[in-house]
Amino acid sequence: MSDKFHTELNRLKQDTTEMVQFARDMLSESLNALFNQDTAQALQVYAKKKQIREVTIALEDRSYQLIALYQPMAKDMRLIACTLKMITAAERIGRYGKDIADMVKDLQDQPDFTQKLPMPHMADLVLGMIDDAIVAYKTENLDPIKNFTSRDDTVDALWLSILREMLTFMMENPKTITRSAYYIMVARYLERSGDHACKMAENIHYMITGEWIEIE
Amino acid sequence: MSIYGVNRGEQAFPEKSLEDIMTSEPIISTHNLNLWYNDTHALQSISMDISKNQVTALIGPSGCGKSTLLRCFNRLNDLIDCVKIRGEILLDNENIHAAGTDVVMLRKKVGMVFQKPNPFPKSVYENVAYGPRVHGIKNKGNLDGIVEQSLRDAALWEEVRDRLHDSALGLSGGQQQRLCIARTLAVEPKVILMDEPCSALDPIATAKIEKLIDALKQDYTVIIVTHNMQQAARVSNYTGFMYLGKLIEFGQTNQIFENPREDLTENYITGRFG
Repeated sequence: MSDKFHTELNRLKQDTTEMVQFARDMLSESLNALFNQDTAQALQVYAKKKQIREVTIALEDRSYQLIALYQPMAKDMRLIACTLKMITAAERIGRYGKDIADMVKDLQDQPDFTQKLPMPHMADLVLGMIDDAIVAYKTENLDPIKNFTSRDDTVDALWLSILREMLTFMMENPKTITRSAYYIMVARYLERSGDHACKMAENIHYMITGEWIEIE
Repeated sequence: MSIYGVNRGEQAFPEKSLEDIMTSEPIISTHNLNLWYNDTHALQSISMDISKNQVTALIGPSGCGKSTLLRCFNRLNDLIDCVKIRGEILLDNENIHAAGTDVVMLRKKVGMVFQKPNPFPKSVYENVAYGPRVHGIKNKGNLDGIVEQSLRDAALWEEVRDRLHDSALGLSGGQQQRLCIARTLAVEPKVILMDEPCSALDPIATAKIEKLIDALKQDYTVIIVTHNMQQAARVSNYTGFMYLGKLIEFGQTNQIFENPREDLTENYITGRFG
């Protein structure tokens, strides 16, 4: 197969790494905007939704073109298969960021109790998992993703903890219902983003080894 | 993860597993097969089992020995003076190099289709009837039946039924190749060897031959040499990768093309050399 193919494949991988980073930053910036009540930053994140969609379509198109033109095999095929899954997962993560950013304006006048929640800690864990998935994909190294099962268990536990806490707030004081309901959604988005990071890790494992694992 | 009862990494429509095949009776086995062209060691210690009623593909860069190996199975290399062969090839547990082996009968059991279609300069009918006649069938009714059945099995009957007595050289390239397959089928072989059977054909004729190969494995064992890896991936159940006279890796086709064990195989099928 031609050098041109491998040059194109390397470029696809490089651009996909940047795209996943872009989506990760959307999530991270939206959480900053939420925790700091920064509507300006929230607007900036929200404005990126068009860009993430365009990049997703462009990268998918390039992947399909490489398949159609070169019929890649073995690790080249696995790299493209993994890339397509990474793109899909990253787009979802970016769109969760957009959805969180969209909530910030609605929470302007609502009583705040963020400091009481483990949400920033949960965000750090999830963003850390996405960061490590990016490193593993970029360097084709399994080490950064090897403990994803236990990290995901922690994220799941935090999601349930936040859910229960929010229910308590809502039962105690109906004025907190709006913010609590939104926070339940944010916690759920973070939990789902953690799951997407796990899916990325499963696909990266397949890309590197050719073997499937399940991160539960 | 289970989707419709299929675990990831397994085939959705599994053929027999490699272990099943290896423990079942192979139709052809080679043990420590070596071949020299004068001083050139063209095949080096090849040991492999060819499974019955399966399609086995041999791939590898030019000059790796895949066609030489294929020609060992019906002793076509005997026709080359400078060839020396050591090791064992068993067809149905009988050594094909044993003294007293009838090479004509061997080539009846192990038919061959070549790269370029090579019909005899005779009619379509005579091309197919030639083999059975050589093997003693003279009755016209019997011959008519064999010709029709062979042409049907080669997916050519409908296209030539009204021109059986026209020259075979008037057929298209793809039709000529299917005629050659029909000619091979007419003597009821057990194994069909195909040496780059589609490389002289256009994509539509190629697709017809590939469909035919898939149908043929119901009744025959097919061994195909191809430089076209996508073709090997499409048509075969098992694939052997050869390099510089050695069989580097042999396994189920989906494993070879999705996750080869050997770096050499990986580098070849991903186009990093060859």
